[in-house]
Amino acid sequence: MRDLYPGYDVLAKRHTPSWNEQTREVIDRRLTIARSDHRFFTEEEWATLCAICERIVPQRAEKQGFVPVAALVDNKLHTDDREGYRDAHLPKMQEAWRRGIAALNDEAQARCGAPFHELAGAEQDELLSAAACGELKCAGWKGMPSDAFFHRRVLSDVVSAYYSHPTAWNEIGWGGPASPRGYVRMDFNRRDAWEAAEAYPGHEEQARQENLRAGR
Amino acid sequence: MRDGEARENRRPSDDPMRRPRAIHGRAPDVFRLGAWVPMRQFGEDEEVDFAIVGTGAGGGTLACKLAEAGFSVVAFDAGPYWRPLEDFASDETAQSKLYWTDERIVDGENPLQLGSNNSGKSVGGSTVHFAMVSLRFRPEWFKSRTLLGYGADWPLDWREMWTYYEEVEQALKIAGPITYPWGPKRPRYPYRAHELNAAAKVLARGAEALGISWTETPLATISAPRGASPPCVYRGFCTLGCSTNAKQSVLITWLPRALHAGAEIRDLAMVGQIETNGADRVTGVHYHRDCEWHFQRAKNVVVAGYAIETPRLLLMSATSRFPDGLANSSGLVGKNLMVQGNQAVWGIMDDEIRSYKGPPSLAITEHWNYEDKGKDFHGGYAYMSQGPLPVLWARTLAGSRGLWGEALLNEMQRYNHSVGLKVVSEYMPQERNRVTLTDEKDQYGLPIPRVTYSWCDNDKRMNRHALAFMRRALEAAGAREIWDQEDDTCHLNGTARMGFDPRTSVVDGDCRSWDIPNLWICDGSVFPTVGGVNPSLTIQAIACRTADRIKALAARGDLEVRSKDRQLV
Amino acid sequence: MSREVVTSGKQIGEDQVGLGIIAAMAALALAAVLARKQKYRRLAQSSGTVTAARRLNRAAGTLAFSVLFDSAIEHYRGSFHNKAMYTPLVVSSLALAVSAHGVNDERSEMHRLRDAIYVAAAVIGAIGTGFHIYNVAKGPGGINWQSVFYGAPLGAPAAIALSGLLGAAAERIRDSDPHRPRVFGLPAGRLAAAIASLGLLGTTGEASLLHFRGAFHNPFMFLPVTLPPVSAALLAETALGKQHRSRWFTRWWLRLTTAMGFVGVCFHAYGVHRNMGGWRNWRQNVLNGPPLPAPPSFAGLALAGLAALTLVEDRPDA
Repeated sequence: MRDLYPGYDVLAKRHTPSWNEQTREVIDRRLTIARSDHRFFTEEEWATLCAICERIVPQRAEKQGFVPVAALVDNKLHTDDREGYRDAHLPKMQEAWRRGIAALNDEAQARCGAPFHELAGAEQDELLSAAACGELKCAGWKGMPSDAFFHRRVLSDVVSAYYSHPTAWNEIGWGGPASPRGYVRMDFNRRDAWEAAEAYPGHEEQARQENLRAGR
Repeated sequence: MRDGEARENRRPSDDPMRRPRAIHGRAPDVFRLGAWVPMRQFGEDEEVDFAIVGTGAGGGTLACKLAEAGFSVVAFDAGPYWRPLEDFASDETAQSKLYWTDERIVDGENPLQLGSNNSGKSVGGSTVHFAMVSLRFRPEWFKSRTLLGYGADWPLDWREMWTYYEEVEQALKIAGPITYPWGPKRPRYPYRAHELNAAAKVLARGAEALGISWTETPLATISAPRGASPPCVYRGFCTLGCSTNAKQSVLITWLPRALHAGAEIRDLAMVGQIETNGADRVTGVHYHRDCEWHFQRAKNVVVAGYAIETPRLLLMSATSRFPDGLANSSGLVGKNLMVQGNQAVWGIMDDEIRSYKGPPSLAITEHWNYEDKGKDFHGGYAYMSQGPLPVLWARTLAGSRGLWGEALLNEMQRYNHSVGLKVVSEYMPQERNRVTLTDEKDQYGLPIPRVTYSWCDNDKRMNRHALAFMRRALEAAGAREIWDQEDDTCHLNGTARMGFDPRTSVVDGDCRSWDIPNLWICDGSVFPTVGGVNPSLTIQAIACRTADRIKALAARGDLEVRSKDRQLV
Repeated sequence: MSREVVTSGKQIGEDQVGLGIIAAMAALALAAVLARKQKYRRLAQSSGTVTAARRLNRAAGTLAFSVLFDSAIEHYRGSFHNKAMYTPLVVSSLALAVSAHGVNDERSEMHRLRDAIYVAAAVIGAIGTGFHIYNVAKGPGGINWQSVFYGAPLGAPAAIALSGLLGAAAERIRDSDPHRPRVFGLPAGRLAAAIASLGLLGTTGEASLLHFRGAFHNPFMFLPVTLPPVSAALLAETALGKQHRSRWFTRWWLRLTTAMGFVGVCFHAYGVHRNMGGWRNWRQNVLNGPPLPAPPSFAGLALAGLAALTLVEDRPDA
């Protein structure tokens, strides 16, 4: 992943007409969630969840801002915030996660002799890929198909949590919240002054300067 | 700017998801901060002319038209009564509060994804988060069995529907093109089309290159001020609720009119059962509000809960006299559930597209709705430009393309260069696609619905045709690294189809149930076929027609509004 | 007051009202400054042609003012992605400056530099119109409603060309025989009337297009598509018709059109307020709302019409 939008911070627009009060309230609440916050998962489950999140949306140590993605997933499960449908093969969201994490740990023990979070990254990826293909079938799954769990729960919940965070918005150069002010310039290669400027090779500094002005 | 913030609007102190707002003789004024409009209220023992279950495109529109015709109306909605200017944040996650997220079980060969793009739980229904695409049916679709050889005929005449389409287009001040390239002549749209964004221009380029027509999508969001609604600001959060009030949803169009005409709206009121008497007439509805069950007496009940909640309520209201549920002598309640295909092709362009700006579907081609040659399938499809926001886009890349890890993060960084075309296609009615009840109970203690869905061969052939054609169009427009999103569907219809015969349909052309003369169904459930366009305009047009039919029936004494019912009881 | 900033439509906060009043005052002040010049007497003496020329300078300046601010806003919206987009700013600034100079110049002879700039403005305006036609035509689907609604406006460069034409005519009137003023060999008054008439028709076309795009949602939007065509017809009659001593109705109607041009700014300021966020969201709404500097172009052309009218009325042969 590159620093494609250097200097761009969607939070710098917090006091501009791009954000309204209800948006500030929602985002502020999300930003209070700290990296280690968890109320739903037990300590053992939490370690596994953190390891899973690190494989699904890897975050390098040196990057600016950290998305507390596991804590966001935990928060969703704690509030039991569902999406409106459930695959007939899956139990309810909370139960699916508990069962899936336990089963992944069982599989890790069986295959590599250690809990999931202690495995090397490559081994974790291998296990997750096997889950994605529905190949994991140990007793711990209790009949829950591992592919349904991986796609409908793991990918969906982890990815949604990550891209609900302003740091992730900065990485992809999205304009972010937009009300009451929306956008004016909608044609190809056009950008409002309050949007992120992409750093084209050789023009990184120009983009950085533009991006520092986005919050004005 | 901080000065302005200090003067920022205050946030409402009430929680519309926990406490009803439409009480004490007033309802929220959706246009003014903290303001209210007066609302007539009816006692529960007062036998109202119409109890309407649902306030979306079907129920909300009908409530307005019936109240304006002088009937006493109470409209129920399980969802909250939003104040768009104050309650809607610019945030994908937070705005999922607009969706129907109560548990539903999905199965079948192609289980549906429900919630975000097809079910709303709000006063105003799904129109609070719909993409505003407001299209007319192709005239032949109303007689698709006779003229096109598939599906079922509607007991409605397209010429009559044309006048009701016009009524709805005027009521919503649809912003559309000056001339529409397909179908019989239609009157000019009341407002002009919006400026196209880059994503829409990609669709236009592709269509030009392949020699087919395209146009600006007729949208229910205004391009110039209208009353208390300012024009669209192109913020791109349309499917997450419009905090501008530019979107002409049922919440800000039909319902203010309904209130003005004397209708009552009960928010956070989940109807769990329709009561019937010994004379096989409905007598009112049981609903859950403020932590307890209530009963509202009514001379007529209209079910307008959309294609899952409508059959669910009819099935849940089964009695010993109607053991299979109300209005179900045909056995068709819950069957013939039809969604529409929502497959897409996506690609990358060197240009910056930034499709997050503007309404998501600014350009459209209905070419394959009106062209019958060169198809190996029945039915048609339209396709439109797209503008997914980050969470939806990430879920699409993860869910449909199977990306995760570095691959996902890297692909997400090409967000501003990604562009796509997405189809709305006509799937066939099949009795095996259906809504049934499970043994599991929801928060109201009501049985959770099970939604079973599988594509037939015709659906699959259409999917293939659409994906292949859109791929060519996207390529011709200059995109590369094109991939197919094969799994998505949208909209819910069928499950209580209208027809000519009580043995093969649930309601007649007036949306009146064959079995119980004072029970009506008015929403997307009544569609015998689904067409290749978004259904909201047609649902509203049917509601307008139903209101006119009810007026006519009442005028000639065929409604059993008062005298006959009393005698029977 | 607690209702406010994130307003929708008709909710008016005091800031919007204040800004509206300021805009209205500014427009009125400008109109007053320009109207003050009406103290020029209509005299049948030799300075009559100079007076007419100065009035035409004023008209050219008003048009240049409108073009300067309109092109500044519109080309800022277009991010000045093509360096040529700075051209109208330079040209209209120069035209505005030499017009101010001309209004204050009482000499009865042509000023070379002024004339050169006016002629250049006319030529560049014509080239700009070509550019804009090209821009409109190159979008997907070529010239269609979408591209004429949202592509480069065809009438805008034409306005700078008109400003140049009127100014060039003014210079030539100064130079010509005060008793028989001629421009390009034609009667000066009648020619100026004809230019103003055509200009008003073209500007009406532009306003019709944009107000149609706005679905004429406000009944006042019909004003600029009804008053100016009448002015254009009256001026055509002035240009081609018989000699009268007095065309009081034409004069009255042109004054009304002038006033409409300036008051239009206030209407457009109100229009900006009606967009989401009102004037607080000015960075969006000044660009996406109705164009503030556009209506005075009607005033500029109507003023040119008034100057022409005086010439024709005072000099049977003009």
